[in-house]
Amino acid sequence: MPTKLIFKFTLAAFMTLALMPSDCCLVAAGQVQRKAPNRRTMRYACPMHPEVAAKKPGKCSKCGMALRLVNHKANEPVVASSTPGPATGDIASASSVRIPDATVYNQNGRRLNFYTDLVKGKVIAINFIFTTCTTICPPLTATFRRVQQELGEHMGRDVWLISISVDPTIDTPERLFDFAAQFKTGPGWTFVTGDKGEIDSLLQALGAAVANKNDHTPMILVGNDATGYWTRTYGLSSPATLVKVITEAMDHK
Amino acid sequence: MICLAILATLFMALQNGGRASVHTPFQNNLTPQEKRGRQIYMQGTSSSGREILAYLGDASLEVPGSAMPCSNCHGLNGEGKPEGGVIPTNLTWEYLTKPYGVTHPSGRKHPPYTERALELALTRGLDPAGNKLMNVMPRYQMSREDMADLIAYLKRLGLDRDPGVADDHLTIGILIPVRGDLAGIGQAVKAVTTAFFDEVNSQGGIYNRRVELKFVETAATPAATSANVKSFIQDEHIFAMTSAFTAGADKEIAALMAELEVPLVGPLTLFPQVGHPLNRQVFYLLSGIDEQSRALVNFASQKFPDKKAGALIVHPEGELAAGAVGAIKDQCQKNSCGSLETFSYRRADFNAPALARELSQKSKNVVFFLGKGDEALALMREADKLRWSPLLYLPGAAIGKEMFDAPLSFNQKIFLSFPTSPAAQTAEGIESFRALAAKYKLPADHPATQLSAYSAAKILVEGLKRVGKEVSREKLIAVLEGLYEYGTGLMPAVTYGPNRRIGAMGAYVVTIDLEKKQFAPVSSWVKTN
Repeated sequence: MPTKLIFKFTLAAFMTLALMPSDCCLVAAGQVQRKAPNRRTMRYACPMHPEVAAKKPGKCSKCGMALRLVNHKANEPVVASSTPGPATGDIASASSVRIPDATVYNQNGRRLNFYTDLVKGKVIAINFIFTTCTTICPPLTATFRRVQQELGEHMGRDVWLISISVDPTIDTPERLFDFAAQFKTGPGWTFVTGDKGEIDSLLQALGAAVANKNDHTPMILVGNDATGYWTRTYGLSSPATLVKVITEAMDHK
Repeated sequence: MICLAILATLFMALQNGGRASVHTPFQNNLTPQEKRGRQIYMQGTSSSGREILAYLGDASLEVPGSAMPCSNCHGLNGEGKPEGGVIPTNLTWEYLTKPYGVTHPSGRKHPPYTERALELALTRGLDPAGNKLMNVMPRYQMSREDMADLIAYLKRLGLDRDPGVADDHLTIGILIPVRGDLAGIGQAVKAVTTAFFDEVNSQGGIYNRRVELKFVETAATPAATSANVKSFIQDEHIFAMTSAFTAGADKEIAALMAELEVPLVGPLTLFPQVGHPLNRQVFYLLSGIDEQSRALVNFASQKFPDKKAGALIVHPEGELAAGAVGAIKDQCQKNSCGSLETFSYRRADFNAPALARELSQKSKNVVFFLGKGDEALALMREADKLRWSPLLYLPGAAIGKEMFDAPLSFNQKIFLSFPTSPAAQTAEGIESFRALAAKYKLPADHPATQLSAYSAAKILVEGLKRVGKEVSREKLIAVLEGLYEYGTGLMPAVTYGPNRRIGAMGAYVVTIDLEKKQFAPVSSWVKTN
């Protein structure tokens, strides 16, 4: 019975990958289309004991739990922590961040396609905010503001900042505009909201989706779309740290 | 382990018992110093105009105090608003000065705060034990005087009440006209609200607080009315207002409510002030002219979905019509209903024959008319002579009985919007209103005004009930923002939200059967949100 189930899962995994929406863009550079996993490279591992692995579905020799299908790169972080990942052309290590071309609106009410207009070919830092969040969003935004000052003329030329609302139903472009004005944001910094469905899929893809908006973590996603380098960092760390992370992304070849 | 827990409980109980004797009761009136401190706590600004700055992290990050006032993280009552793993400390004086000190969830411990220790925490980011505070807690730079004011308020934090809230009563204010043509409306509002709240009080009030109603009168000019209301709110300690007759002084009264931070539920007006930035304090019941115009556009594009048809907008000059013109254009763009042409006229020299000639040559079959009923009638008569009878859309509030005399060629071609209709009433709603009217012998005139005042009072009471015993203006606003499809039984259900201050957004559309000389409903509720 479990075998049958796992087979179903496998099938589902195949289907999902095959049906991946065409408006999604793989992040890594010069991307090869993501290939449907080949049956031969499948790997099954115990959820509790990752070292117990097999090529076929089965049970863990240590605890007896059913082995689960894993991507053989799954043990690597999808987006590396703030230490830079391998600089060599291992596409698969970064390819798990897909940035959807979601329809969004900026703080001026202009309609944009998230990937094509804001990310494609750029070095960006993304934080996640909402205007009725008063505990962590002001410091997050103030940090970004400081980063903006530090980056000086690089802003809007070599580096772009994006703040995505995690509360799109309430955060209208007007609200974002007022919020941005409070922190005197400059060019090269876009605040983003939109239809809840679109924003939710975007947050999901960026690893920032939460059920309760008050639980949203002060995380910043930094990336170089041209080279496919992506990393995450703690949003409440000092602006200097953040500038360093962004500079590394800029310098990444 | 269990033993320890019991011991701890006992210990806590003893401590609580010990403190009960020094428990500070809730108080209404803040001293002037505490009031100044409250402004610093709530808004991060000093009433003296002196600068307050906040520094974050390694002090490299400087922001104005207004971007990070205390209340942002610690909440209006000082209990803290946890977000994203950051748990702001409970700032109530009682908590900070616990004789056995404070142990934070993070493990940080310190002895009780003193005034001096609090100052050090605010300026240097250190607790009484010398530990560093959480890194998102800014250090503040402010004058000595401001610091003293803030600390004075921090000692009262969580114990101060909004004006108008007493142990045994809650004061609600109502603005009514008493002179001229409108006196009757004022009397009707007074009668129905008095009856409604007498009834509420006879059933135990709101959490044992009696609702005390106070009335203030409109004056000859908007500015004078506004001044009346301002001194009324301050002198009479008004907690919130309901069903105020703001017509004519809509802007002034709405601005005043925002300035004094007094919630106002259900003002009687056709011109809700709902532009950006949002006025948080004022909650309207029904759509005004602008919103009704949007409903007419939605109705028109549903009923006659010809994308290329386009329309003409005809309106008198002036600020009042300008809002509706903007609303029609915006809604037309959303519905892509084709090209629009706008014609304005001066009320004084309204020339129906010339206007009809000009409009008829535009070969458009849809007209949105924002003038008065007699002007619409004159225009239709002239158009009829030219054998031109377009579909005519008007907000219902602008017209009167004269519309029944329109030429027959306009039969069922005139469409009027109404923000509510008998169709929105439920049997239960009507029954409860009738019972009240009978018990308190309410006058029979101005039924629409009475229903509006009654509904407004009902929504306010619902809000107050949902807030609970510890009532504050901010809590009332937050609760009202959470109302969803709340039915009063006498008008369309209301929904509010952080960006929404019109309860029932939309309208009913009716046409005129010119043969039978009567209104005929042609739509159910047309939503505009």
